[in-house]
Amino acid sequence: MAAPETGAGLFGEKAGFWVVEIDRFQGPLDLLLHLIRVQDVDVFDIPIARITDQFLRAVKEIHATQLDSAGEFLEMAATLVRIKAQMLLPRYGDDEEADPRAELVRRLLEYEQIREISARLQTAEAERGRRFGKGYVEARPRPTLEDTPLETGWEEVMEAALAVEMPDPRDVEHRVRVRPVAMETKVALILDALGRATRVEFSRLLRGVEGLQARMHGVMTFLASLELTRRRAVYLRQVNPFSELWIYRRDPETEGAADESAGATDDAAEATDDAGGDRPETTTQESP
Amino acid sequence: MNASQIVEAVLFASDAPLKAEEIARADESLDEDRVEEAVRELRVFYDETERSFQIVEVAEGYQILTRPEFSSYLERFDTVPRPSRLSGPALETLAIIAYRQPIGRVEVEYIRGVGSAGVIRSLQDRGLVDVVGRAEGLGRPLLYGTSARFLEHFGFGSLDDLPRPEELPVVLRERVPLLPEGEQEDGGAEPGVAAGAEAAQLDLPDG
Repeated sequence: MAAPETGAGLFGEKAGFWVVEIDRFQGPLDLLLHLIRVQDVDVFDIPIARITDQFLRAVKEIHATQLDSAGEFLEMAATLVRIKAQMLLPRYGDDEEADPRAELVRRLLEYEQIREISARLQTAEAERGRRFGKGYVEARPRPTLEDTPLETGWEEVMEAALAVEMPDPRDVEHRVRVRPVAMETKVALILDALGRATRVEFSRLLRGVEGLQARMHGVMTFLASLELTRRRAVYLRQVNPFSELWIYRRDPETEGAADESAGATDDAAEATDDAGGDRPETTTQESP
Repeated sequence: MNASQIVEAVLFASDAPLKAEEIARADESLDEDRVEEAVRELRVFYDETERSFQIVEVAEGYQILTRPEFSSYLERFDTVPRPSRLSGPALETLAIIAYRQPIGRVEVEYIRGVGSAGVIRSLQDRGLVDVVGRAEGLGRPLLYGTSARFLEHFGFGSLDDLPRPEELPVVLRERVPLLPEGEQEDGGAEPGVAAGAEAAQLDLPDG
Protein backbone atom coordinates (compact mmCIF):
# COMPACT_ATOMS: atom_id res chain seq x y z
CA MET A 1 0.00 0.00 0.00
CA ALA A 2 1.23 3.46 -0.82
CA ALA A 3 1.70 6.32 1.59
CA PRO A 4 -1.86 7.70 1.79
CA GLU A 5 -3.19 4.27 2.65
CA THR A 6 -1.14 3.62 5.79
CA GLY A 7 -4.04 4.53 8.01
CA ALA A 8 -6.35 2.06 6.39
CA GLY A 9 -5.61 -0.88 8.65
CA LEU A 10 -6.07 1.22 11.74
CA PHE A 11 -9.31 2.49 10.44
CA GLY A 12 -10.40 -1.04 9.75
CA GLU A 13 -10.93 -1.47 13.48
CA LYS A 14 -13.09 1.57 13.67
CA ALA A 15 -14.76 0.75 10.42
CA GLY A 16 -16.66 -1.98 12.20
CA PHE A 17 -18.92 0.76 13.45
CA TRP A 18 -19.95 1.82 10.03
CA VAL A 19 -22.94 -0.34 9.65
CA VAL A 20 -24.28 0.84 6.35
CA GLU A 21 -27.75 -0.09 5.27
CA ILE A 22 -27.59 -0.06 1.56
CA ASP A 23 -31.36 0.28 1.16
CA ARG A 24 -31.23 3.71 2.71
CA PHE A 25 -29.25 5.10 -0.18
CA GLN A 26 -30.62 6.27 -3.46
CA GLY A 27 -27.54 5.23 -5.35
CA PRO A 28 -23.78 4.87 -5.27
CA LEU A 29 -23.15 8.61 -5.17
CA ASP A 30 -25.48 8.96 -2.22
CA LEU A 31 -23.61 6.23 -0.35
CA LEU A 32 -20.21 7.63 -1.24
CA LEU A 33 -21.23 11.10 -0.14
CA HIS A 34 -22.50 9.68 3.11
CA LEU A 35 -19.21 7.92 3.81
CA ILE A 36 -17.30 11.09 3.08
CA ARG A 37 -19.52 13.46 5.02
CA VAL A 38 -20.03 11.27 8.07
CA GLN A 39 -16.28 10.96 8.55
CA ASP A 40 -15.68 14.61 7.78
CA VAL A 41 -13.27 13.81 5.03
CA ASP A 42 -11.97 16.55 2.75
CA VAL A 43 -13.76 16.00 -0.53
CA PHE A 44 -10.79 17.39 -2.41
CA ASP A 45 -8.44 14.90 -0.82
CA ILE A 46 -10.45 11.71 -0.49
CA PRO A 47 -8.54 8.86 1.17
CA ILE A 48 -9.47 6.64 -1.69
CA ALA A 49 -8.27 3.31 -0.25
CA ARG A 50 -10.23 3.72 2.96
CA ILE A 51 -13.38 4.91 1.26
CA THR A 52 -13.13 2.17 -1.33
CA ASP A 53 -12.87 -0.49 1.38
CA GLN A 54 -15.89 0.88 3.18
CA PHE A 55 -17.82 1.16 -0.02
CA LEU A 56 -17.07 -2.43 -1.00
CA ARG A 57 -18.07 -3.64 2.43
CA ALA A 58 -21.42 -1.90 2.09
CA VAL A 59 -21.92 -3.24 -1.42
CA LYS A 60 -21.43 -6.78 -0.16
CA GLU A 61 -24.69 -6.40 1.72
CA ILE A 62 -26.66 -6.09 -1.46
CA HIS A 63 -28.71 -9.20 -1.89
CA ALA A 64 -29.01 -11.10 -5.09
CA THR A 65 -32.64 -10.01 -5.22
CA GLN A 66 -31.63 -6.40 -5.67
CA LEU A 67 -29.48 -6.97 -8.72
CA ASP A 68 -31.06 -4.01 -10.44
CA SER A 69 -29.52 -1.49 -8.12
CA ALA A 70 -26.50 -3.68 -7.46
CA GLY A 71 -25.21 -2.94 -10.96
CA GLU A 72 -25.01 0.76 -10.23
CA PHE A 73 -23.16 0.19 -6.97
CA LEU A 74 -20.79 -2.30 -8.55
CA GLU A 75 -20.01 0.10 -11.34
CA MET A 76 -19.00 2.71 -8.78
CA ALA A 77 -17.00 0.09 -6.90
CA ALA A 78 -15.11 -0.65 -10.10
CA THR A 79 -14.43 3.03 -10.62
CA LEU A 80 -13.14 3.36 -7.06
CA VAL A 81 -10.87 0.36 -7.41
CA ARG A 82 -9.50 1.72 -10.66
CA ILE A 83 -8.82 5.11 -9.10
CA LYS A 84 -7.18 3.39 -6.18
CA ALA A 85 -4.92 1.51 -8.58
CA GLN A 86 -4.11 4.67 -10.48
CA MET A 87 -3.16 6.38 -7.23
CA LEU A 88 -0.52 3.73 -6.67
CA LEU A 89 1.08 4.30 -10.04
CA PRO A 90 3.83 6.89 -10.18
CA ARG A 91 2.57 10.14 -11.64
CA TYR A 92 4.65 12.27 -13.89
CA GLY A 93 4.59 15.84 -12.81
CA ASP A 94 2.32 16.70 -9.94
CA ASP A 95 -0.22 18.98 -11.52
CA GLU A 96 -3.70 18.49 -10.12
CA GLU A 97 -5.15 17.76 -13.49
CA ALA A 98 -3.57 14.36 -13.35
CA ASP A 99 -5.31 13.44 -10.10
CA PRO A 100 -7.34 10.35 -10.94
CA ARG A 101 -9.91 11.37 -8.31
CA ALA A 102 -10.76 14.63 -10.02
CA GLU A 103 -13.75 13.50 -12.06
CA LEU A 104 -15.17 11.63 -9.07
CA VAL A 105 -14.82 14.72 -6.90
CA ARG A 106 -16.55 16.80 -9.50
CA ARG A 107 -19.44 14.34 -9.69
CA LEU A 108 -19.76 14.17 -5.91
CA LEU A 109 -19.90 17.92 -5.52
CA GLU A 110 -22.36 18.21 -8.34
CA TYR A 111 -24.52 15.52 -6.80
CA GLU A 112 -24.41 17.16 -3.41
CA GLN A 113 -25.53 20.38 -4.97
CA ILE A 114 -28.42 18.62 -6.68
CA ARG A 115 -29.38 17.15 -3.32
CA GLU A 116 -29.44 20.59 -1.79
CA ILE A 117 -31.59 21.90 -4.61
CA SER A 118 -33.95 18.93 -4.17
CA ALA A 119 -34.35 19.89 -0.53
CA ARG A 120 -35.16 23.46 -1.56
CA LEU A 121 -37.71 22.20 -4.07
CA GLN A 122 -39.29 20.11 -1.35
CA THR A 123 -39.62 23.18 0.85
CA ALA A 124 -41.18 25.13 -2.02
CA GLU A 125 -43.57 22.26 -2.68
CA ALA A 126 -44.66 22.17 0.96
CA GLU A 127 -45.11 25.94 0.99
CA ARG A 128 -47.23 25.83 -2.16
CA GLY A 129 -49.25 23.01 -0.61
CA ARG A 130 -50.39 25.35 2.12
CA ARG A 131 -52.09 27.70 -0.31
CA PHE A 132 -55.36 26.89 -1.95
CA GLY A 133 -56.94 28.18 -5.11
CA LYS A 134 -60.55 28.42 -6.01
CA GLY A 135 -62.39 25.14 -6.21
CA TYR A 136 -60.49 23.47 -3.44
CA VAL A 137 -63.58 23.02 -1.31
CA GLU A 138 -66.22 21.31 -3.36
CA ALA A 139 -69.74 22.62 -3.21
CA ARG A 140 -71.24 19.31 -2.21
CA PRO A 141 -69.36 16.28 -1.09
CA ARG A 142 -69.99 13.47 -3.51
CA PRO A 143 -70.16 9.94 -2.29
CA THR A 144 -67.19 8.08 -3.62
CA LEU A 145 -67.76 4.58 -4.83
CA GLU A 146 -64.45 2.95 -4.42
CA ASP A 147 -63.31 -0.58 -4.28
CA THR A 148 -61.82 -0.44 -0.84
CA PRO A 149 -60.05 -3.51 0.42
CA LEU A 150 -61.18 -4.84 3.76
CA GLU A 151 -58.67 -3.84 6.39
CA THR A 152 -60.55 -4.86 9.47
CA GLY A 153 -58.95 -7.38 11.73
CA TRP A 154 -60.78 -10.09 13.60
CA GLU A 155 -60.30 -8.32 16.93
CA GLU A 156 -61.98 -5.22 15.57
CA VAL A 157 -64.92 -7.22 14.32
CA MET A 158 -65.21 -8.87 17.71
CA GLU A 159 -64.99 -5.53 19.47
CA ALA A 160 -67.66 -4.04 17.23
CA ALA A 161 -69.88 -7.04 17.75
CA LEU A 162 -69.57 -6.76 21.51
CA ALA A 163 -70.32 -3.04 21.36
CA VAL A 164 -73.59 -3.55 19.55
CA GLU A 165 -76.54 -3.22 21.85
CA MET A 166 -79.13 -5.80 21.12
CA PRO A 167 -82.53 -4.21 20.57
CA ASP A 168 -85.37 -5.46 22.64
CA PRO A 169 -87.11 -7.96 20.39
CA ARG A 170 -90.49 -6.85 21.72
CA ASP A 171 -89.94 -3.36 20.24
CA VAL A 172 -89.31 -4.63 16.77
CA GLU A 173 -92.27 -4.98 14.58
CA HIS A 174 -91.72 -7.91 12.33
CA ARG A 175 -93.11 -7.50 8.91
CA VAL A 176 -93.49 -10.44 6.64
CA ARG A 177 -93.15 -9.75 2.98
CA VAL A 178 -93.93 -12.14 0.26
CA ARG A 179 -90.97 -12.75 -1.99
CA PRO A 180 -91.92 -12.69 -5.62
CA VAL A 181 -89.05 -15.03 -6.37
CA ALA A 182 -88.56 -18.06 -4.18
CA MET A 183 -85.09 -19.05 -3.20
CA GLU A 184 -85.90 -22.72 -3.39
CA THR A 185 -86.67 -22.26 -7.08
CA LYS A 186 -83.20 -20.86 -7.55
CA VAL A 187 -81.67 -23.63 -5.50
CA ALA A 188 -83.32 -26.10 -7.80
CA LEU A 189 -82.14 -24.15 -10.83
CA ILE A 190 -78.53 -24.24 -9.65
CA LEU A 191 -78.66 -27.91 -8.77
CA ASP A 192 -80.22 -28.64 -12.12
CA ALA A 193 -77.47 -26.75 -13.94
CA LEU A 194 -74.81 -28.51 -11.90
CA GLY A 195 -76.39 -31.84 -12.66
CA ARG A 196 -75.32 -31.36 -16.25
CA ALA A 197 -71.93 -29.69 -15.69
CA THR A 198 -69.40 -29.46 -12.87
CA ARG A 199 -69.54 -25.67 -12.86
CA VAL A 200 -71.74 -22.86 -14.07
CA GLU A 201 -71.38 -19.11 -14.45
CA PHE A 202 -73.57 -17.03 -12.23
CA SER A 203 -74.61 -14.84 -15.13
CA ARG A 204 -75.75 -17.88 -17.12
CA LEU A 205 -78.32 -18.59 -14.41
CA LEU A 206 -79.82 -15.15 -14.96
CA ARG A 207 -80.00 -15.40 -18.71
CA GLY A 208 -83.37 -14.43 -20.07
CA VAL A 209 -84.44 -12.66 -16.87
CA GLU A 210 -85.39 -9.08 -17.60
CA GLY A 211 -87.48 -6.23 -16.39
CA LEU A 212 -88.40 -5.15 -12.90
CA GLN A 213 -87.85 -8.56 -11.39
CA ALA A 214 -84.29 -8.93 -12.71
CA ARG A 215 -82.78 -7.48 -9.59
CA MET A 216 -84.74 -9.77 -7.31
CA HIS A 217 -83.81 -12.76 -9.45
CA GLY A 218 -80.15 -11.80 -9.10
CA VAL A 219 -80.44 -11.46 -5.34
CA MET A 220 -82.28 -14.73 -4.93
CA THR A 221 -79.91 -16.64 -7.19
CA PHE A 222 -77.00 -15.30 -5.20
CA LEU A 223 -78.67 -16.23 -1.92
CA ALA A 224 -79.45 -19.65 -3.28
CA SER A 225 -75.82 -20.18 -4.18
CA LEU A 226 -74.79 -18.99 -0.71
CA GLU A 227 -77.28 -21.36 0.82
CA LEU A 228 -75.93 -24.23 -1.25
CA THR A 229 -72.42 -23.26 -0.19
CA ARG A 230 -73.57 -23.49 3.41
CA ARG A 231 -75.06 -26.88 2.70
CA ARG A 232 -71.68 -27.79 1.18
CA ALA A 233 -73.32 -28.69 -2.05
CA VAL A 234 -71.41 -26.12 -4.08
CA TYR A 235 -68.56 -23.69 -3.72
CA LEU A 236 -68.11 -20.28 -5.32
CA ARG A 237 -65.07 -18.91 -7.00
CA GLN A 238 -64.28 -15.45 -8.32
CA VAL A 239 -60.88 -14.35 -9.59
CA ASN A 240 -61.31 -10.59 -9.30
CA PRO A 241 -63.92 -8.27 -7.85
CA PHE A 242 -66.73 -7.74 -10.39
CA SER A 243 -65.47 -10.57 -12.56
CA GLU A 244 -67.56 -13.61 -13.37
CA LEU A 245 -68.68 -15.68 -10.39
CA TRP A 246 -68.45 -19.44 -10.91
CA ILE A 247 -70.50 -21.98 -9.04
CA TYR A 248 -68.80 -25.36 -8.69
CA ARG A 249 -70.32 -28.67 -7.78
CA ARG A 250 -68.89 -30.17 -4.62
CA ASP A 251 -67.85 -33.79 -4.48
CA PRO A 252 -70.25 -35.92 -2.43
CA GLU A 253 -67.47 -37.13 -0.09
CA THR A 254 -67.70 -33.90 1.85
CA GLU A 255 -71.27 -34.15 3.04
CA GLY A 256 -72.70 -33.92 6.50
CA ALA A 257 -73.66 -30.30 6.91
CA ALA A 258 -76.69 -30.44 4.68
CA ASP A 259 -79.13 -31.15 7.50
CA GLU A 260 -79.74 -27.55 8.49
CA SER A 261 -82.78 -25.73 7.30
CA ALA A 262 -82.77 -22.76 4.98
CA GLY A 263 -84.52 -20.40 7.37
CA ALA A 264 -81.35 -18.79 8.73
CA THR A 265 -80.66 -16.77 5.61
CA ASP A 266 -83.75 -14.56 5.93
CA ASP A 267 -81.93 -11.75 7.76
CA ALA A 268 -79.13 -11.84 5.27
CA ALA A 269 -81.66 -11.52 2.49
CA GLU A 270 -82.88 -8.22 3.88
CA ALA A 271 -79.38 -6.88 4.22
CA THR A 272 -78.28 -7.83 0.72
CA ASP A 273 -81.43 -6.34 -0.71
CA ASP A 274 -80.66 -2.96 0.81
CA ALA A 275 -77.00 -2.93 -0.05
CA GLY A 276 -77.40 -3.15 -3.78
CA GLY A 277 -78.41 -6.65 -4.60
CA ASP A 278 -77.92 -6.01 -8.29
CA ARG A 279 -74.20 -6.56 -7.89
CA PRO A 280 -73.99 -9.84 -6.05
CA GLU A 281 -70.52 -10.48 -7.49
CA THR A 282 -68.93 -8.13 -5.01
CA THR A 283 -68.76 -10.86 -2.43
CA THR A 284 -66.15 -13.48 -2.96
CA GLN A 285 -66.95 -16.82 -1.53
CA GLU A 286 -64.61 -19.71 -1.36
CA SER A 287 -65.00 -23.06 0.13
CA PRO A 288 -63.12 -23.50 3.37
CA MET B 1 -66.28 49.47 -13.55
CA ASN B 2 -62.63 50.22 -13.08
CA ALA B 3 -59.66 48.17 -14.23
CA SER B 4 -58.93 46.74 -10.79
CA GLN B 5 -62.46 45.45 -10.46
CA ILE B 6 -62.36 43.77 -13.85
CA VAL B 7 -58.99 42.15 -13.12
CA GLU B 8 -60.26 41.02 -9.74
CA ALA B 9 -63.38 39.50 -11.29
CA VAL B 10 -61.34 37.57 -13.84
CA LEU B 11 -58.87 36.30 -11.25
CA PHE B 12 -61.66 35.43 -8.87
CA ALA B 13 -63.45 33.34 -11.45
CA SER B 14 -60.38 31.41 -12.51
CA ASP B 15 -59.08 28.28 -10.84
CA ALA B 16 -55.73 28.36 -12.66
CA PRO B 17 -53.04 31.01 -13.07
CA LEU B 18 -53.73 33.57 -15.79
CA LYS B 19 -51.09 35.55 -17.65
CA ALA B 20 -51.43 39.33 -17.75
CA GLU B 21 -52.11 39.20 -21.49
CA GLU B 22 -54.89 36.70 -20.90
CA ILE B 23 -56.50 38.89 -18.27
CA ALA B 24 -56.25 41.87 -20.62
CA ARG B 25 -58.59 40.10 -23.04
CA ALA B 26 -61.44 40.81 -20.62
CA ASP B 27 -61.85 44.39 -21.77
CA GLU B 28 -60.65 46.74 -24.52
CA SER B 29 -59.50 49.26 -21.93
CA LEU B 30 -56.94 46.78 -20.60
CA ASP B 31 -53.43 45.96 -21.70
CA GLU B 32 -50.65 44.09 -19.94
CA ASP B 33 -49.35 47.19 -18.19
CA ARG B 34 -52.80 48.15 -16.96
CA VAL B 35 -53.36 44.63 -15.70
CA GLU B 36 -50.08 44.60 -13.79
CA GLU B 37 -50.88 47.99 -12.32
CA ALA B 38 -54.30 46.72 -11.27
CA VAL B 39 -52.71 43.66 -9.67
CA ARG B 40 -50.40 45.93 -7.67
CA GLU B 41 -53.37 48.02 -6.50
CA LEU B 42 -55.35 44.95 -5.55
CA ARG B 43 -52.39 43.52 -3.61
CA VAL B 44 -52.09 46.71 -1.56
CA PHE B 45 -55.83 46.70 -0.97
CA TYR B 46 -55.89 43.04 0.10
CA ASP B 47 -52.99 43.63 2.49
CA GLU B 48 -54.61 46.70 4.01
CA THR B 49 -57.92 44.97 4.50
CA GLU B 50 -56.24 41.79 5.76
CA ARG B 51 -57.84 39.47 3.25
CA SER B 52 -57.28 35.73 3.75
CA PHE B 53 -56.10 35.47 0.14
CA GLN B 54 -53.43 37.03 -2.03
CA ILE B 55 -52.65 37.42 -5.69
CA VAL B 56 -49.66 35.16 -6.20
CA GLU B 57 -47.38 35.01 -9.21
CA VAL B 58 -47.48 31.44 -10.41
CA ALA B 59 -46.21 29.94 -13.65
CA GLU B 60 -45.74 33.32 -15.30
CA GLY B 61 -49.28 34.31 -14.43
CA TYR B 62 -51.42 35.43 -11.53
CA GLN B 63 -53.68 33.40 -9.31
CA ILE B 64 -55.72 34.16 -6.22
CA LEU B 65 -54.58 31.77 -3.50
CA THR B 66 -55.29 31.65 0.19
CA ARG B 67 -52.57 32.77 2.57
CA PRO B 68 -50.55 29.86 3.94
CA GLU B 69 -51.60 30.62 7.53
CA PHE B 70 -55.14 29.50 6.73
CA SER B 71 -54.10 26.05 5.59
CA SER B 72 -55.14 24.35 8.83
CA TYR B 73 -58.75 25.38 8.28
CA LEU B 74 -58.82 24.30 4.67
CA GLU B 75 -57.10 21.00 5.28
CA ARG B 76 -60.23 19.83 7.05
CA PHE B 77 -61.89 19.68 3.66
CA ASP B 78 -60.46 16.91 1.63
CA THR B 79 -63.04 16.78 -1.09
CA VAL B 80 -60.54 17.73 -3.76
CA PRO B 81 -57.37 15.67 -3.84
CA ARG B 82 -54.28 17.78 -3.54
CA PRO B 83 -51.26 17.01 -5.66
CA SER B 84 -49.24 14.48 -3.77
CA ARG B 85 -45.71 15.16 -2.61
CA LEU B 86 -42.96 14.04 -4.91
CA SER B 87 -40.51 11.35 -3.87
CA GLY B 88 -36.80 11.92 -3.25
CA PRO B 89 -35.70 10.49 -6.58
CA ALA B 90 -38.40 12.48 -8.38
CA LEU B 91 -37.26 15.74 -6.75
CA GLU B 92 -33.62 14.95 -7.52
CA THR B 93 -34.41 14.26 -11.16
CA LEU B 94 -36.57 17.37 -11.44
CA ALA B 95 -33.79 19.47 -9.92
CA ILE B 96 -31.35 18.24 -12.55
CA ILE B 97 -33.79 18.76 -15.41
CA ALA B 98 -34.80 22.20 -14.14
CA TYR B 99 -31.22 23.47 -14.01
CA ARG B 100 -29.83 21.74 -17.06
CA GLN B 101 -32.70 21.82 -19.50
CA PRO B 102 -32.75 20.73 -22.24
CA ILE B 103 -31.12 17.56 -21.01
CA GLY B 104 -31.14 13.91 -22.06
CA ARG B 105 -31.84 10.88 -19.93
CA VAL B 106 -28.25 9.60 -20.05
CA GLU B 107 -26.92 12.87 -18.65
CA VAL B 108 -29.47 12.80 -15.85
CA GLU B 109 -28.41 9.26 -15.02
CA TYR B 110 -24.74 10.17 -14.99
CA ILE B 111 -25.35 12.98 -12.52
CA ARG B 112 -27.55 10.84 -10.26
CA GLY B 113 -25.46 7.71 -10.64
CA VAL B 114 -28.60 5.59 -11.04
CA GLY B 115 -30.99 4.63 -13.81
CA SER B 116 -33.71 7.24 -14.18
CA ALA B 117 -35.93 6.15 -17.07
CA GLY B 118 -38.83 5.24 -14.76
CA VAL B 119 -38.62 8.46 -12.76
CA ILE B 120 -38.53 10.57 -15.90
CA ARG B 121 -41.52 8.74 -17.31
CA SER B 122 -43.56 9.30 -14.17
CA LEU B 123 -42.60 12.98 -14.16
CA GLN B 124 -43.80 13.12 -17.76
CA ASP B 125 -47.05 11.41 -16.79
CA ARG B 126 -47.59 14.02 -14.11
CA GLY B 127 -46.98 16.73 -16.68
CA LEU B 128 -44.06 18.18 -14.74
CA VAL B 129 -41.57 17.41 -17.48
CA ASP B 130 -41.97 17.60 -21.25
CA VAL B 131 -39.94 16.45 -24.20
CA VAL B 132 -38.57 19.69 -25.60
CA GLY B 133 -36.50 18.40 -28.47
CA ARG B 134 -33.92 15.94 -29.64
CA ALA B 135 -30.18 16.10 -29.27
CA GLU B 136 -27.79 15.84 -32.15
CA GLY B 137 -25.75 12.70 -32.33
CA LEU B 138 -26.26 9.01 -32.17
CA GLY B 139 -29.90 7.98 -31.88
CA ARG B 140 -30.94 11.62 -31.49
CA PRO B 141 -31.94 11.13 -27.84
CA LEU B 142 -34.95 12.97 -26.42
CA LEU B 143 -34.28 16.12 -24.46
CA TYR B 144 -36.38 17.02 -21.46
CA GLY B 145 -37.37 20.32 -19.91
CA THR B 146 -39.72 21.51 -17.20
CA SER B 147 -43.33 22.51 -17.93
CA ALA B 148 -45.65 25.26 -16.72
CA ARG B 149 -47.12 22.61 -14.44
CA PHE B 150 -43.72 22.31 -12.79
CA LEU B 151 -43.83 26.01 -11.90
CA GLU B 152 -47.37 25.62 -10.60
CA HIS B 153 -46.49 22.60 -8.51
CA PHE B 154 -43.75 24.44 -6.66
CA GLY B 155 -45.48 27.82 -6.70
CA PHE B 156 -42.75 29.44 -8.78
CA GLY B 157 -43.49 32.54 -10.82
CA SER B 158 -40.84 31.56 -13.36
CA LEU B 159 -37.59 29.59 -13.57
CA ASP B 160 -35.87 32.64 -12.07
CA ASP B 161 -37.48 31.67 -8.76
CA LEU B 162 -35.38 28.52 -8.59
CA PRO B 163 -32.73 28.74 -5.90
CA ARG B 164 -29.51 30.02 -7.43
CA PRO B 165 -26.47 27.81 -7.07
CA GLU B 166 -24.49 30.62 -5.48
CA GLU B 167 -27.12 30.89 -2.73
CA LEU B 168 -26.64 27.31 -1.72
CA PRO B 169 -24.81 26.87 1.58
CA VAL B 170 -23.12 23.58 0.81
CA VAL B 171 -20.38 22.53 -1.54
CA LEU B 172 -18.43 24.39 -4.12
CA ARG B 173 -16.66 26.28 -1.39
CA GLU B 174 -14.17 26.95 -4.10
CA ARG B 175 -14.05 25.86 -7.64
CA VAL B 176 -10.85 24.02 -8.15
CA PRO B 177 -9.74 23.32 -11.64
CA LEU B 178 -10.62 19.72 -12.22
CA LEU B 179 -10.34 17.87 -15.45
CA PRO B 180 -9.91 19.94 -18.55
CA GLU B 181 -11.86 18.86 -21.59
CA GLY B 182 -10.52 15.86 -23.41
CA GLU B 183 -8.67 14.64 -20.35
CA GLN B 184 -11.34 12.30 -19.09
CA GLU B 185 -10.05 9.66 -16.78
CA ASP B 186 -13.08 7.50 -17.18
CA GLY B 187 -12.62 4.91 -19.85
CA GLY B 188 -15.58 2.84 -20.89
CA ALA B 189 -16.62 2.29 -17.31
CA GLU B 190 -19.37 4.88 -17.19
CA PRO B 191 -21.78 5.51 -19.99
CA GLY B 192 -22.49 9.10 -20.78
CA VAL B 193 -19.14 10.39 -19.69
CA ALA B 194 -19.00 12.95 -22.44
CA ALA B 195 -22.44 14.25 -21.61
CA GLY B 196 -21.56 14.51 -17.93
CA ALA B 197 -18.41 16.42 -18.67
CA GLU B 198 -20.34 18.95 -20.71
CA ALA B 199 -22.67 19.44 -17.82
CA ALA B 200 -19.84 20.04 -15.39
CA GLN B 201 -20.93 23.55 -14.55
CA LEU B 202 -24.25 23.94 -12.84
CA ASP B 203 -25.79 26.76 -14.81
CA LEU B 204 -29.09 28.45 -14.45
CA PRO B 205 -31.22 28.15 -17.52
CA ASP B 206 -31.62 31.30 -19.58
CA GLY B 207 -34.64 33.41 -18.86
